[in-house]
Amino acid sequence: MRIDSRSPYSTGAVSTDTVSSDTDIDLSHRVTVELDATWTTTVWNDPVNLMTYVTQVFRRYFGHSAEEAERLMLLVHNEGRAVVATGPREEMERHTEAMHEYGLWATVTRADS
Amino acid sequence: MTSIEIDGAEIRVELSELEHRLLTTLLTDYTEQVDGDGLAVLFPNAYPDDPDAAAEFARYTRSGLVDRKTANAGIVVRDLATGANIPTGMRISLTAEAFDTWMPILTDLRRILADRLGIEHDDDPVDESPVGDVYQWLGELQWRMLEALDTVAIGDAPQ
Repeated sequence: MRIDSRSPYSTGAVSTDTVSSDTDIDLSHRVTVELDATWTTTVWNDPVNLMTYVTQVFRRYFGHSAEEAERLMLLVHNEGRAVVATGPREEMERHTEAMHEYGLWATVTRADS
Repeated sequence: MTSIEIDGAEIRVELSELEHRLLTTLLTDYTEQVDGDGLAVLFPNAYPDDPDAAAEFARYTRSGLVDRKTANAGIVVRDLATGANIPTGMRISLTAEAFDTWMPILTDLRRILADRLGIEHDDDPVDESPVGDVYQWLGELQWRMLEALDTVAIGDAPQ
């Protein structure tokens, strides 16, 4: 999905004479990546939304194929919820806000909680 | 009952005079109340297990959501007001964009009525009452509009 694919480690080799400063940068990047990777947007079943609406929201907002949108909708319907996105917290909050605008019940969760 | 036709990239929704008046009245009430505490049901808790994060999310998102919900309601009201008069009521022509305005608004209207009707689970029966009838009608209207919009809308990203 909309996970930022830019990698902080792909910026080139570290030359030996700048190891200490580059190590610092790498460490900060590593921390950021860990925080970024551990959040999800979950959509929950609710008694009002129509199945066809939920499917179409997933297609239109996330750009999913009909099959993937249907699969996620059925997860919501049958299991009570579905993780619809994984990534940085800010982005997961933005998706959640968008789901709320469409009238779906969505929450933000740490992926490992 | 409402009739819906597809014409190229447009869908045409025909509402009776009564349906047209009813929808307009519901939207007027919605617009007046959407920024108050009475319609909290429209703003789900984004962090059920974290009251602080929930409050912060609400603080950062609520006014924007209220603004956009109000704007969407305004667009639906305008669409209703600028429809063409036909012998049975009013005909409203809509494009794929209606998915991002009409559908969230119909969802919110149904959410508000469901809350009043005490509908909490998928299989809860709907009261045979005037409110229950309106809820059922809005559900059928939304379902049929979705079906029509599906044929003209899909693939268009909102961005």
